[in-house]
Amino acid sequence: MSSEQDHLKETDTEERFDFKKDSKAAFAAEKGLTEETIHAISEDKDEPEWMLERRLRALKQFQEMPMPTDWPGQPDLSEVDVDEIVPYIRPDVDVRAGVDDWTELPDEIKDTFDKLGIPEAEKNALSGVGAQYESEVVYQNMQERWEEKGVIFCNMDQAVQEHEEIVREHFMTTCVPPSDNKFAALHGAVWSGGSFVYVPEDVTVEMPVQAYFRMNSEGMGQFEHTLIVAEEGSEVHYIEGCSAPKYSAINLHSGGVEVFVGEDAHVQYSTVQNWSKNTYNLNTKRALVEKNGRMEWISGSMGSKATMLYPSSILKGRGASDNHITIAFAGEGQNIDTGAKVYHNAPNTKSTIESKSISKDGGRTNYRGLVHIADGAEGSSTAVECDALMFDNESTSDTMPYMEINESTVDVAHEATVGKIGDEDVFYLQSRGLDDDDAKQMIVSGFIEPITEELPIEYAVELNRLVELEMEGSLG
Amino acid sequence: MSTQLPASISEETVDEISAERNEPDWLRRTRLDALAALEESEMPSVIETPGRRWTNLEDLDYESIVDPLDQRDETERISAEGAAVLDFETALEEHPELVEEHFGSVTDPQTNYLTALSTALFTTGTVIYVPEGVDAEDVKVRAEMNSTSLFSHTLVVAEDNASATILERISNGSEVDGDRYFSNLVEIVTGENAYVQYGSLQNLDEDVYDFTLKRGDANRYATIDWIEGNIGSRLTRSDIETELNGDSSETKIVGAFFGHDDQHFDINARVWHNAEHTTADLVTRGVLDDEARSVYEGVQDVGRDAWDTSSYQRENTLMLSDDSEADASPKLIIHNHDTEASHSATVGQVDAEDMFYMTSRAISENTARNMLVEGFFVPVLEEVEVDELREDIDDLIVARLD
Repeated sequence: MSSEQDHLKETDTEERFDFKKDSKAAFAAEKGLTEETIHAISEDKDEPEWMLERRLRALKQFQEMPMPTDWPGQPDLSEVDVDEIVPYIRPDVDVRAGVDDWTELPDEIKDTFDKLGIPEAEKNALSGVGAQYESEVVYQNMQERWEEKGVIFCNMDQAVQEHEEIVREHFMTTCVPPSDNKFAALHGAVWSGGSFVYVPEDVTVEMPVQAYFRMNSEGMGQFEHTLIVAEEGSEVHYIEGCSAPKYSAINLHSGGVEVFVGEDAHVQYSTVQNWSKNTYNLNTKRALVEKNGRMEWISGSMGSKATMLYPSSILKGRGASDNHITIAFAGEGQNIDTGAKVYHNAPNTKSTIESKSISKDGGRTNYRGLVHIADGAEGSSTAVECDALMFDNESTSDTMPYMEINESTVDVAHEATVGKIGDEDVFYLQSRGLDDDDAKQMIVSGFIEPITEELPIEYAVELNRLVELEMEGSLG
Repeated sequence: MSTQLPASISEETVDEISAERNEPDWLRRTRLDALAALEESEMPSVIETPGRRWTNLEDLDYESIVDPLDQRDETERISAEGAAVLDFETALEEHPELVEEHFGSVTDPQTNYLTALSTALFTTGTVIYVPEGVDAEDVKVRAEMNSTSLFSHTLVVAEDNASATILERISNGSEVDGDRYFSNLVEIVTGENAYVQYGSLQNLDEDVYDFTLKRGDANRYATIDWIEGNIGSRLTRSDIETELNGDSSETKIVGAFFGHDDQHFDINARVWHNAEHTTADLVTRGVLDDEARSVYEGVQDVGRDAWDTSSYQRENTLMLSDDSEADASPKLIIHNHDTEASHSATVGQVDAEDMFYMTSRAISENTARNMLVEGFFVPVLEEVEVDELREDIDDLIVARLD
């Protein structure tokens, strides 16, 4: 094991995620959401006129759309009051687009990311790192050798300035338009920060690029936007981590992720989210996949009070494929409503969805999925597998997959199982000298292994550690 | 949304139906309450995904397909020794307390707009009473619909240790032109350790809109098995539900449908595990040809006190044409961790390898396909205990294939 893995393993994860900072802000928007707020944010970012217009249009859509309230079994969103959320906080960093030298960061921010283990990860395993604190990216670095090949990895605000054409074409136009849902509209209005990744034709970025998002202030909303454009024949793995400490007021996280997978391109998007248990995590993530392109979503949803997140892929080119691997863990007071959506809109498209959930101490997990096979998508196939593990009788686990099949020459399979943690398995392990907690921990680790083995090692270690802490009930 | 009350229906209509049949006052009041509830009632909920409602029950023109004062049917009832299989009027005379006690006890007449409409207007139906310990095999109810609309109600009461196998068929009799509406509510009440297999076969012509809700209440050690065959109709909305309310109760919901032309089937199988050691097995197989479409929802709901639950669900759809559409949503709702539950759903076409194998054995392509489709239904047909029902379903499948 490398020293970095040791470091990550040894650091107390609870301490790593659950600390707060008194933070100084250079600019903080007023609570609530008005046209003035939008003007102020856009002005503070010195944005081009078209972006301000998009924001204002999104705000209007947000105001017109009703809250989603009538989905069967959905999390209760009645506490989510946008008027009580601070939509934008710019931390006090001298360099607007973030610094590229770690030592230049103000101490309290540096300290935060040190605790999260970001610098080590960058040094050892990654092509580049971006780190977002509140609404702005405070640190951004990309290894030179990738830059030379034309790979762009910068924060989204910077991209608006420096790569305006690409952004203007792709930003919330065809992939996630603000009209998609109420929170996508909100995101379109107040988005700030996030990552922009551009990989030119036929370039393979062998090491993952990583971004880390940290919400530090009480009662704030974070709305980072991630835009990944992978041109024909390119390949990239993007990893995102998120966390926020505990506060009594609610936080709202409503990010937007748009991925453009070109012909024959391959994008992997991995995320481990560990929001604090007062955070509402209402994200929209979508990929458009061209001919023979491949999209992989790997996600672990650990924290938050309520999550509604259904990463989706639109397979629009012949032979495009999608692969979803998700894990959700809901402990006390948590409602994790997550799933996957795949639209097969072209012939010979393929998708697989593997979803695992664990619920414990009254936690509630729900798999809500949609597989749509359009008329004309002949020769397509999909396989959906959902497994739920329940620890106790206070917990709830639901599976609600939807399958809309408009084409006959297809192969569709859905399977779901729910079970309690096996008494026999626990007994077997106990008889080999493990105590009850360790035995259960080991069974859970085995249960989620299909997910962890897809993650880069430091994320796998982190996920396992988080699960461990959840099991002990010591998180949140 | 709720739908307007058709102008042809009023309290007088309901009074007239009730008076003509010389009904007791409690039933007349139940009908009037259901009628009054129509204004506020919702249509049965249907599967919705963003931007899409999968079955549009509110779009039906109830005004033109409901003609409450001209309901005609020809129904043949074949009883078994020791059991009573009676039309409603006779049942109300011979077993007034039994009917009053159980009518509407399993399915609230005001569950939704269509159940309320059915309760207010039903003119035909059957009460099947199987007293304690009686074994009633091969009870048959063969009904023909001879009017624009027909509303029916079936009540099955199987007392402790009683058992019954029941076949109910609905088809068309004399020709009536235009769009029509058939509605049937079925309730099954069981005593301890009772067993009921209730098979139904719907073979209405394709101008008929069909709504049925069948629900059973399974007592301790009781078993309720449903067999549901849907072949005919333009649009069928069918809900088959069991509440496992007694410890160690069991249910099986077996469904088969075969749609062609532009038929639409909205099939729902639901089970609630409300007691300990209960078992459910839901199996549905469907075939779609031409522009037919199916919507399937299966719900396995395991309650907080349902310790030691076993619950399984399988749904398979075979598509024979490119223009057909199949939507499926099997749902697991689990509140008790001491549960073994699984569900699976598949949609596919006739297996190319199987076809190749058979055609290479000199079987014509058409014959091979038909054999494979027939074979596809075998796991469902095997569950049917009433020979006549199994043979009828099979015959109708074969006829549809030709």
